[in-house]
Amino acid sequence: MNQQDGYADDIVKGFIIWSMVWGLVAVLVGVFISFQIAFPQLNFPPYLTYGRLRPIHTNAGIFGWGIGSFMAFFIYITQRLTRTSLWSPALAKAQLWLFNVVIALAAVTLAMGMNRSKEYAELEWPVASLVVVLWVIFAVNIVMTIVKRREEQMYISLWYILATLVGVAVLYLVNNASIPVSLTKSYSAYAGANDANVQWWYGHNAVAMVLTTPPLAIFYYFLPKATGVPIYSHRMGVVAFWSLIFMYLWTGAHHLLWAPVPDWVQTLAMGFSVMLIAPSWAAVFNGYFSMNGQWHQMRENYLVKFLIFGITFYGMQTLQGPSQSIRTFSAFIHFTDWVPGHVHMGTLGWVSLVLFAAIYYTVPRLYHTEVYSIPMANMHFWLVLTGQLIFSITMWIAGVQQAAMLNATNPDGSLHYSFIETMAELYPYWYMRAAGGVIYLAGLLLFLYNIYKTITVGKAQAAVQPA
Amino acid sequence: MDSASIYYLGVTLFLFIVFAAIVARTYRKAHRAKGEEPKFRMMDDDQPKKHDHPET
Repeated sequence: MNQQDGYADDIVKGFIIWSMVWGLVAVLVGVFISFQIAFPQLNFPPYLTYGRLRPIHTNAGIFGWGIGSFMAFFIYITQRLTRTSLWSPALAKAQLWLFNVVIALAAVTLAMGMNRSKEYAELEWPVASLVVVLWVIFAVNIVMTIVKRREEQMYISLWYILATLVGVAVLYLVNNASIPVSLTKSYSAYAGANDANVQWWYGHNAVAMVLTTPPLAIFYYFLPKATGVPIYSHRMGVVAFWSLIFMYLWTGAHHLLWAPVPDWVQTLAMGFSVMLIAPSWAAVFNGYFSMNGQWHQMRENYLVKFLIFGITFYGMQTLQGPSQSIRTFSAFIHFTDWVPGHVHMGTLGWVSLVLFAAIYYTVPRLYHTEVYSIPMANMHFWLVLTGQLIFSITMWIAGVQQAAMLNATNPDGSLHYSFIETMAELYPYWYMRAAGGVIYLAGLLLFLYNIYKTITVGKAQAAVQPA
Repeated sequence: MDSASIYYLGVTLFLFIVFAAIVARTYRKAHRAKGEEPKFRMMDDDQPKKHDHPET
């Protein structure tokens, strides 16, 4: 274990590398399934169909790329903010192995059609049980490191890290409660509308505790590091954190508007969703105000570009999300292509841009070298930005068109278009989405090559240095 | 409104009071300097500390 500088960083390297591997898998599968929608003849049953590959795409993206890199940066950040080394590097090493086993098992079982049919909670009980073990190992190691910290006050990132550890544990355990009937099949412990309510309490808060709090922890840590200037207001960060935590867990039912769950639950979810704009934008403003007098760095510092565009997409995402949670608007865009446009602004725009910046920042430091090519990093930025914008904007337009067609009625009140007619009109948008995906993939490949070269150059430099 | 919904709203209200207390504590005048301290201290975390809380 590399204990240079007193921190256990070898394990961070491992998580970063494996998260990039799973990130590549997620984007490759994502691009392929976008082509499957545009060209249905690319579906090859039973394993290579959209139905089997879509959950592999989401699991590899959210859990492989997302959680994998969050594990890397939680370990990296926690050690530094607590000014102490990791509680147990050996446990973290076991965690890395188990993480890869779980993600590989997820890919295999989903390809074989073993699926609980719950979005983002598809894994059957044997794999889900391993996820619980994995999370306990991770949480214990991070919490114990915080317990033995050598800083009295905790920086805001640590609060977000703790919220993630607790939040994911509660959500995952409750929503995965199920009754196994065989090694490969189980049924949810809940029934009917209750099951739907629990599922979307989990589903939306997976967005909170996996796609919001960890990237915020990383953003709050790496923005000051990248700019060399502290964040604008730590106290505003703390208040925004607690209000986010207070509000988020009530919003899941906005996925069930017009569904047979109690009306007041839907209204409560709607109200809290709109209120969430405040803490979300407090984080956005904290980021923007931290740039006071530093905006020139947007031109000069490629890391800042990734981070500020990332937080900007977070801001746009957290305006669009609450708008979608309002009954009238939800009735219009729900079940249309608007929704994947929204989701991918969050995952490709917000989460991934912040993670790219964090990896560009840490890898050269971990390998005691410089980043291989800054022009390549800039090109990477523009490619992923262009790809993501083409994807999202195309899907929003497609969603509005589809919604308008689905709602069009004849004078006698009958529907003007059949469902299949609305589908047939969407092909041009699906071609555009696939093209956006290819551009994003090109950017990702450039990023991976840049990081690969950074690592190999770093290792070569280390080899020639006298011991 | 049934007992479940009253309980649900009661928990919400309780959490809101807790949240309001956190805001009041964070933004009280006496806490101002201490509340902003971590953002300066995190800028220098290149190496672990040898001792716990050396400032105390």
